[in-house]
Amino acid sequence: MNLYDCKILLVDDEKALREMVCGFLRRAGFYDVTMAGNCKEAERMFYEKEPQLILLDVMLPDGDGFSLFKKWRQASEVPVIFLSARDEDENRLRGLGLGADDYITKPFLPEELILRVTAVLKRVYRVKNVQEEEIIALGKCRVDLGSGVVHWDSDIEDRTDGEVTLTAKEYAILQKLAQERGRIVTIDALCDAVWQEENYGYENTLVVHIRRLREKIEEDPSHPQYLLTVRGLGYRLV
Amino acid sequence: MSGFGRGQINYNFRKAVRLFFYGAMAVFGVAALTSILNMMLLISALVVYVNTDVRYIDGGDIMEALTLTENGYVLSEEMAQEFEKEDQWAMLLDEDGRVIWSIRKPEELKEEYSRSEIARMSKWYLQGYPVRMRVWDDRIMVVGMQKDVMWKYTMEFSLPWMEFFKRTILVFFFINFVWIVVLAFAFARRFTKNRERARIEWIAGISHDIRTPLSMVMGYADTLEQDEGLPEETRQQAAVIRHQSVVMKDLISDLNLTSQLEYSMQALRKEKVRPAEIIRGVAVSFLNDSIPELLEIDVEIDEKGEQTVVRADRQLLVRVFRNLINNSVKHGGQTEVVKIKISLRQEKRKCYIRFQDNGMGYSEEVLRRLQGRKKENAAENIRGLEIVRKIILAHGGKIWFGNCKEGGSYCVMKLRLALGSVWNSDMF
Repeated sequence: MNLYDCKILLVDDEKALREMVCGFLRRAGFYDVTMAGNCKEAERMFYEKEPQLILLDVMLPDGDGFSLFKKWRQASEVPVIFLSARDEDENRLRGLGLGADDYITKPFLPEELILRVTAVLKRVYRVKNVQEEEIIALGKCRVDLGSGVVHWDSDIEDRTDGEVTLTAKEYAILQKLAQERGRIVTIDALCDAVWQEENYGYENTLVVHIRRLREKIEEDPSHPQYLLTVRGLGYRLV
Repeated sequence: MSGFGRGQINYNFRKAVRLFFYGAMAVFGVAALTSILNMMLLISALVVYVNTDVRYIDGGDIMEALTLTENGYVLSEEMAQEFEKEDQWAMLLDEDGRVIWSIRKPEELKEEYSRSEIARMSKWYLQGYPVRMRVWDDRIMVVGMQKDVMWKYTMEFSLPWMEFFKRTILVFFFINFVWIVVLAFAFARRFTKNRERARIEWIAGISHDIRTPLSMVMGYADTLEQDEGLPEETRQQAAVIRHQSVVMKDLISDLNLTSQLEYSMQALRKEKVRPAEIIRGVAVSFLNDSIPELLEIDVEIDEKGEQTVVRADRQLLVRVFRNLINNSVKHGGQTEVVKIKISLRQEKRKCYIRFQDNGMGYSEEVLRRLQGRKKENAAENIRGLEIVRKIILAHGGKIWFGNCKEGGSYCVMKLRLALGSVWNSDMF
């Protein structure tokens, strides 16, 4: 499934804002966007269009987004991103534990909106972005994120095997770093990516995994060129 | 908007003092009003009493004015006039209850009274006439008034009760006073709280109303900026609009947060968080978005600091570090490298976070204001720091700002550890 084929339903009572957001989405590549200005219309569109993502304003003229969301959740698992103009709604949203997929506070930049929409869609439908790279090139080796195998150029003398397989943990670490390539990723974010829940206390273990990973992808593991340590903060893949 | 964050006692202390002051003033006001009212009531009661009081002519005086002659008793002319004037009557009974002398005695009254009748009239009325008696040797002088001019009741109290009353009357008045104090205080409190709530809601409403139009300003400015078909100058102008609307957005959310923290309306969503994780996250997000040559953040957290867990609102704690770093970056100068050092340590079950930069330090005025001594509107350049202070105080923590000897400013925050927060570090 292509990311941009997803049907999006946009619910907001302000017509000008609705049209603007719709414009952003269309320009970003989402061509199937439906709009609704109130709860009644939204409900009709919900059953008619069966959207794959809903952008839902919290305050609507004939009801509020929260109750509409609750109603929909009973019938469908469709991801919902709330739009709100109040900071307080965020507290309420988190307090309710509704399980909304994301939350955007007005005003927002188009970039932010598109980023969140794409992130939610990717997460929920596990669709691959067209441009997303499967192979990471690190100097003389290439890591295939599809198979988790490291391929070395044949001219490296001390790498006789030419191919090394990554363990699940190493793979998770590298994937996270590759996603944020060039940017620093904190120890905590890495632990989160590898161990998910209850990840505290794995910092030392992480160091061990990083060392093993370096042995597999770095030419000289004691002087890493690609997987760099940012002291006190985390790691960075350059 | 309902629900008050708990654990804000420290922060509310100053406010409580202020409120107490108002309360005390209100109490004085009420007390003064009450006493004035009481005084007025007393005076008017006295005036009424003096003006309407009717007194029995004294039995002893009558006896003295009475002389026994051959024709019986004779009253002096003066006293007789007195009876006329006061519209009273009198009769003298001998030991057998017979009337031996009388003046202006109502006709319906008898000439002789039994012991039981005398006993009854001594306490109550005599056929509806209020009377008072005076015993003179073996005779009884009965002085009476007209019907329906006097209310009469005999009261008796047991001695222990009187003792109790004497002992407790002071306490009783004291309780009364305390009650008035409490009442006045409660009213004052209620009044100020309502006013605060109205103000917060007003600000929240305004910020809500600004946000939707601002969304469009921001969105379209950004669109224009990205539009490659437009002349460079126009796109630059659009960029300025976009940038300024982001500034406005921050202002609005600052305003909202400040007003809510100020009046502790923000229900803190406290959870167990590790400050170490938050510090790293914020530091990294700044480092990732800035030019490496312009910003250096050195994070120093020891093993114990790593294990530190506090109960806090995650979003607000993130805000603290964002604001601190923002402030350092903004005032750090454009050419020099901004060097920030954040350290975290745990000591005596308290979490200490020290933030230090290499900027020019805080001015005297800013420091005074950050210490909360100067009561005036926060200048634009320290609003972020004011929020930092308020967030820390709202979490029941303490915060100090100051300048380093070697230049630059520092800020130290102290937070309580979460209960049962010692993580098992031997798990691996």
